[in-house]
Amino acid sequence: MPLNRGERMKRKSVGIILAVSLTAVIGFLIYSHFFGNFEYNFFAMDTYNSLKISGFGSAGIADEIESLVYDLDVNILSRQSESSALSALNRNHGGPLGDDLRGYLDTLLDVYSKSGGRFDFTLGTVSDLWGFGKEGKVPDTGELNEALSLTGADKIKIKDGELTIPEGAVIDFGSAGKGIGLDVIRDTILKKSRISRAVVSLGGSVLTYGKKEFRVAVNDPFESGTMAVLTLPSCCVSTSGSYERFFEQDGRRYHHILDPETGYPVDNGLVSVTVVSDSGILSDALSTACFACGLDKGMELARTYGCDALFIDSDKNVYITEGLEGKTEITKDGYILKNE
Amino acid sequence: MNKLIKKTDIVIIFSVILIAAAFLIFQKSSDGKHIAEISVDGKVIETVNLDDVTGRVEIIPDTNPKVVIVAENGEIYFESAECPDKICVAGGKLRRRGDTAVCLPARTVVSITGSSADAITY
Repeated sequence: MPLNRGERMKRKSVGIILAVSLTAVIGFLIYSHFFGNFEYNFFAMDTYNSLKISGFGSAGIADEIESLVYDLDVNILSRQSESSALSALNRNHGGPLGDDLRGYLDTLLDVYSKSGGRFDFTLGTVSDLWGFGKEGKVPDTGELNEALSLTGADKIKIKDGELTIPEGAVIDFGSAGKGIGLDVIRDTILKKSRISRAVVSLGGSVLTYGKKEFRVAVNDPFESGTMAVLTLPSCCVSTSGSYERFFEQDGRRYHHILDPETGYPVDNGLVSVTVVSDSGILSDALSTACFACGLDKGMELARTYGCDALFIDSDKNVYITEGLEGKTEITKDGYILKNE
Repeated sequence: MNKLIKKTDIVIIFSVILIAAAFLIFQKSSDGKHIAEISVDGKVIETVNLDDVTGRVEIIPDTNPKVVIVAENGEIYFESAECPDKICVAGGKLRRRGDTAVCLPARTVVSITGSSADAITY
């Protein structure tokens, strides 16, 4: 039966509304996919990583970052991965260096030198004796001293693009690998993308990318949760602490940041150091270096590189460089900001 | 008289607005709560509203090594783990938004959602 004019109009208007609604829903889904916030977590580099990305193609960018981190770890940086370039160098006591590895080693050698040898990335054998992350135990003194006598970044040589590692020394990028990852992610993926804002966390090393300010919380070294928030621009932030990897033996805690002179965990009253830098490798390496140097020399070292830093000691005193004044908010009772 | 928009159209428009409003209110209402997410291998396997938990809730995800996660008294924590270092257990009890504990060997993450920070450095 033919519809009258009224019914035809009614069906037409219902159709229009349904079409508009459907278009809006599809539009929203497309917008969310291409321009919306995208969050993604994955395990790699022996740690838990998270991505928060906003802008065009965020989901695809997250995939690219995950692949890059796996590749960087397994094929280049990890000394535990037999197929990595670093493993080959350690195994063969050196070899020809590509531009990337040469750049990383030059930066780490510079930090070694400027820290007066307190930051030493050749302690792989010494670290293995402690067994952090496995069945940790205090090593035999004889074994420890023998391993120590063979290590030292001053013993490695780079000449005409060729690296020489002395017998017994093992290069370990554990104190810089995540920072290197942040630099590579920023330079090879984010800068070439149309992403407007990204926060990349490789473990506790954070890259903030974008124009507006970011709030980066600092982990509480004594209990769960965070103890401060830093308001920062686009940058890299890394933290080294005595609470990260440790074991307890005979009622004493042994952590993973080792003193290159004694081979024992650094014991200087600090429990955590956070470093803020434009460079990921520097923020990562300097957080360990500043921790190993202690409060005063660590502050100096951070300033030498034009970086900002936040130090926490065992009495919950918090010390910051000038650049973090007014940008550091203590968020937990018990902590005392000493610079104000 | 024929109108372009009829009574039924108004009903449809209001229904769409109501559904959208309900969705927003639902999102807002979850903002005030302490929701813990437990994820394994990057995938959320369970969410727990810590404000609604009465007594002790034990969660044992299918992981190797085995971990036991407990929610009680508005807190959630790794009670035990069969991994060597037990850093997740030492991490203590989570109660504030953004608190996170990770067991790397079990690839398990417990976190309370709704942190005001963009990231945590540790």
